[in-house]
Amino acid sequence: MSDYQLDDELRDALREVTNVAMGRAADLLARLLDTYVVLPIPVVNLLERSELNMALSSLRSVSSVSAVCQGFVGSRISGEALLIFNDTSFADIAELTSYSGDVTPEIELELLMDIANILIGACLKGLAEQLDLTFSQGQPVLLGQHVNIEDLVRNSSSGWQRALTVEIPYRLEGHSVDCDLLLLFTEDSINVLENKIHYLME
Amino acid sequence: MSTADSNLAEFHWLMDVLQTIDVGILVVRLDNRILAWNSFMENHSGISPDDAIDQDLFEVFPDLPREWFEHKSRTVVQLKNRAFTTWEQRPYLLRFKNNRPITGSAEFMYQNCTFIPVTNIRGEVESLCIIIYDVTDEAINKLEQQRTNAQLKELSRLDGLTGLYNRSYWEKQLEQEFRRQKRAVQTTSLIIFDIDHFKQLNDINGHLAGDHMLRQVADVVRKTIRTSDIPGRFGGEEFALILPDTPPDDAVRLAERLREQVESLVVEDEQAGPLQVTISLGVAGWHSRYERHQDWMVEADQALYRSKAAGRNCVTLA
Repeated sequence: MSDYQLDDELRDALREVTNVAMGRAADLLARLLDTYVVLPIPVVNLLERSELNMALSSLRSVSSVSAVCQGFVGSRISGEALLIFNDTSFADIAELTSYSGDVTPEIELELLMDIANILIGACLKGLAEQLDLTFSQGQPVLLGQHVNIEDLVRNSSSGWQRALTVEIPYRLEGHSVDCDLLLLFTEDSINVLENKIHYLME
Repeated sequence: MSTADSNLAEFHWLMDVLQTIDVGILVVRLDNRILAWNSFMENHSGISPDDAIDQDLFEVFPDLPREWFEHKSRTVVQLKNRAFTTWEQRPYLLRFKNNRPITGSAEFMYQNCTFIPVTNIRGEVESLCIIIYDVTDEAINKLEQQRTNAQLKELSRLDGLTGLYNRSYWEKQLEQEFRRQKRAVQTTSLIIFDIDHFKQLNDINGHLAGDHMLRQVADVVRKTIRTSDIPGRFGGEEFALILPDTPPDDAVRLAERLREQVESLVVEDEQAGPLQVTISLGVAGWHSRYERHQDWMVEADQALYRSKAAGRNCVTLA
């Protein structure tokens, strides 16, 4: 599997499936915040372990972020969803969700979890429905608040080598809010995904 | 067995599993009436199903923050989407005691919760299932680790002997102050001082007496400066202070007070008897001609050497 290349067909198909799923997630977010969510274009990639940090850094020019991750598994497909929030977004988000007063770290965490629940939940649900499977979601874990983006996944010591990644950058129109949703699928999920997607496209 | 019997049997064991499983299962209708209450809930709350089922959740748990709970459940119901809450966000949803009342160190059970929309046959959300996980051990470990890290961070900033800041941390603070000075209205000043003839004191009375003296001088520093001042030990017998928003004249007055306090200090040493020392000080205010923070330190250092040359036990302004 070491010489596995991501073929264009799978990449396109995955992008299409993701488009539908994240469109739903964006719709929910728009309803929650009552604002227009700019529909992003998902980027599909096969990343080596060593490339993940680089990919993360390229997502953000700012250094201070807050992030949540959540594992998912179902029908022999497994992975993690990572939501990375630019720390400068919180003031606007708080305003949109009508939190009044100072945006304390507690409120930021509350907002971060709210958005993570919606974006990750809806995205996975959308994917699962199209691929005709269900995912179990683990408890979300706070990776860090106000940390350097390079420090987010530094501590991971499990033996994974490569992951299929789908990057979805969300922006809100007229607000300085931006966050990235990253879906990381394990290497052994790729074949299963490929089969499921073939089945869907036929 | 008839189909009805086997359905009943299946229903029975399913219920048995739900009852026994070691996570809390709570189902509430949209009007907050409790529909299901498993034995985890019963045992940890001490409230029997008879007293819980069909009651209003907020009457059974008056401490539950209503606004927060309704905000969470509203998004779950409206968006038909699961929601998760973690102990970091809110240590618990319902205050239960720690399930290790003897050996546990937490007062209450830390909880992670999952909110799941429960739909009827028509696909409408009719109730809300809340699953409560006991994550006390995980939470305690993480909190303990954070505390330890914070302590380590603090320790790594300090000089072990005197408890003042060590040189590397102090210099980092000076660097920050230097950058701030470029925009600041008020001038910050710097004091560098060392103990006169310290080597001699060490040689005659031994290193223990010397260490004792360094700690006592550090104590004088702590008692004399203001809370906003940043004291550091440079190693050896050399000390330095950053005095934010303090013009050089005021810094000189503070330096003079320090000099007097140390001069009148008598350290009783068990071996060597009463010991006394004096200090020589150099003061430098910030100046725009400094290009780097080191230039500022050099300026204060040169003032210190002029104090030495002038016969010690005195203050010189750069």
